[in-house]
Amino acid sequence: MSSMHLSQLRKWMLASPPVEWGIHRLRELLIGALRQGPIPQHVAFVMDGNRRFARSHKIETVEGHNLGFEALARILEVCYKSGVKVVTVYAFSIENFKRSKYEVDALMEMAKIKLSQLSQHGELLDRYGASVRVLGQRDLVKPDVLKAIDKAVELTRNNGDCILNICFPYTSRDEITMAIAGTVEDYSKPISTQARPFSQTRITQKIQSRNLSTSPLRSNSPTPSSTSDVDDSVSSTTTLHAESPMGGQEGAIYPDPETITADTIEQHLLTAGDPPLDLLIRTSGVKRLSDFLLWQCHENTEVVFLDCLWPEFDLWQFLPVLVEWQWRQKHIEEKGLGSGLKKPKTKIR
Amino acid sequence: MPAASRETDIYRRDAKLDHTLLTPAEREKLIEPYLPEPPLKPSSRRRKNGKLAGIPTDGRGHSRLGVRKFLKHHLHLLVYTIIHAVFSIYIRFRQAYHGVKDRILAILYYHHRTPELIQKDVKGLSRLPKHLSIILTLQDGGRGGAGLEALVDEVAEIAAWCACTGIPMLSVYEKTGILKGYIPATHRAISRKLSSYFGPEHPAVLLRAPHMPSIESAAGTPVNGTPAPSPAVKNLNILLLSAEDGRDSLVDLTKTLAEMSQRSKLSSKDISADLVDAEISESVMGEPDLLVLFGPTVELSGYPPWQVRLTEIFHVQDNQDVGYQVFLRALYNYANAQMRFGR
Repeated sequence: MSSMHLSQLRKWMLASPPVEWGIHRLRELLIGALRQGPIPQHVAFVMDGNRRFARSHKIETVEGHNLGFEALARILEVCYKSGVKVVTVYAFSIENFKRSKYEVDALMEMAKIKLSQLSQHGELLDRYGASVRVLGQRDLVKPDVLKAIDKAVELTRNNGDCILNICFPYTSRDEITMAIAGTVEDYSKPISTQARPFSQTRITQKIQSRNLSTSPLRSNSPTPSSTSDVDDSVSSTTTLHAESPMGGQEGAIYPDPETITADTIEQHLLTAGDPPLDLLIRTSGVKRLSDFLLWQCHENTEVVFLDCLWPEFDLWQFLPVLVEWQWRQKHIEEKGLGSGLKKPKTKIR
Repeated sequence: MPAASRETDIYRRDAKLDHTLLTPAEREKLIEPYLPEPPLKPSSRRRKNGKLAGIPTDGRGHSRLGVRKFLKHHLHLLVYTIIHAVFSIYIRFRQAYHGVKDRILAILYYHHRTPELIQKDVKGLSRLPKHLSIILTLQDGGRGGAGLEALVDEVAEIAAWCACTGIPMLSVYEKTGILKGYIPATHRAISRKLSSYFGPEHPAVLLRAPHMPSIESAAGTPVNGTPAPSPAVKNLNILLLSAEDGRDSLVDLTKTLAEMSQRSKLSSKDISADLVDAEISESVMGEPDLLVLFGPTVELSGYPPWQVRLTEIFHVQDNQDVGYQVFLRALYNYANAQMRFGR
């Protein structure tokens, strides 16, 4: 009984104006202080634990998601005030469609309302150069939600100072598959060859006739297989293709698939153009990536698993993570200066 | 988000009615005091400078603002320094605490190279990973043989623990891929380690790396008369991975698919997650159940991205070395079990 009174008293204390003002000042001070060190450019969050929070506090699941949204807003404030450029949040997985219809519908409705509400404050978003992007499978979203998404995205398209990526019907495998398919599609488009005043057939014939007369062995000498994009059936012309892959006599010429690199695929990902992911935070103590940003986070990203549930997540949980990240970054920097290998992160003033 | 409770209250009431209570203008007014200063756009800054140059008498107001800004900056710098000073003390203590804890656990749970003891440690676990994956790091940057030797020894140790606990599949990720050049030597080291654990009746080991010939050894034959400890698995599969099995394998797959598409053997619409998954698990490996990192933080450093989708990731904070207690804690964590002190 007394504990309830105590918690009431605590709540009342925290809500009193001077304490509130003090906390607000303290937050500002801490965020300002954080800005003095290196700041991650790209942070991702897996917002896990809304349902568990609702269950443990005996409120409705949807209410838990609402509180989760408030936590997101708080964290976004911290992130952008401290200088993070891109924040990516995992809002809804494709797998989540397997949840109860009631919950899925409520989440969709929430997304629609929040996004359309966001669109009403276009001027405010412009002032801070904030832009919203929604990453994921568009086909799985209902048309009315899609409209709200498009409106919000369209409104903020030209702002580039800070970006919020909302992963909504998203899984990373789906994203990687789409990136591969996109790359393949790009590489199956023939290169348009401009007409030149020389006839390639004539040149080929000339060379063949000369080769035949001088050394008959040369015409079928092996050529490097790097130009495997041409049809092998025209074997007599392979000698020429080693030097001029632009020859366009047997139909379409494609870009060389050997030029595909990890960067090519990266440019086809949904997060193309964003700085590399520095920090990935997952709440609620589950130590899995759950199909989130697999490609982006597997390099030098620091993955942090926290035990608190997402609606409880605030500056006080985020601060230690950020400070530790800064501390580690400084160590890497020192080591990098010693060996001159790793490049230090850019400092934000 | 307003931190103040009154505003939060209003916001929540508004949200409950699907944001019909307040007009956008009212809402903007609500959060007005909490908005940061808008970032100075180049245009506005220029305007300010122009005004300053035009009216030099206006300098007083500006300088007061400058002083305030200067003080604020220095206050922030001071707080930053204090935070980091406190933090570096804290982290030393934390590292020391974890170091002592790990040492105690290592003493309490030492395997003594006895399979029975290891089997006893994991007896109560409700489930074991079918496929365990570990990330190891080469210590001295590959110079000199010491780092390589340590790495081979670590692989052999962990392979032996897996054989004792009954994990049939182990994949070892090491970024540089140096181990792939020493497959026969590694295989010999593992076999030696296994026979030191099990005696003559040790399990068969299949060591391989993607796109490389595998090396297989037969199980040791039981010697009649002496009751030798029997391993929990008869065959142990070990897979060596490196950075090139990660993104590069996906890139290679894309190259192949692009080539096929250029010869119109396939359309880009045929590419599905299932197809990619089938190809990747065929050429590299399937999804591991548990990934154990022996470093102080979770940094995947190039680990195959496609496969870690649902893998449990385990690491011990501030841990540096490859120890049996880390391995055991990972298994306990995977089975959602509590570690109890004493056996």
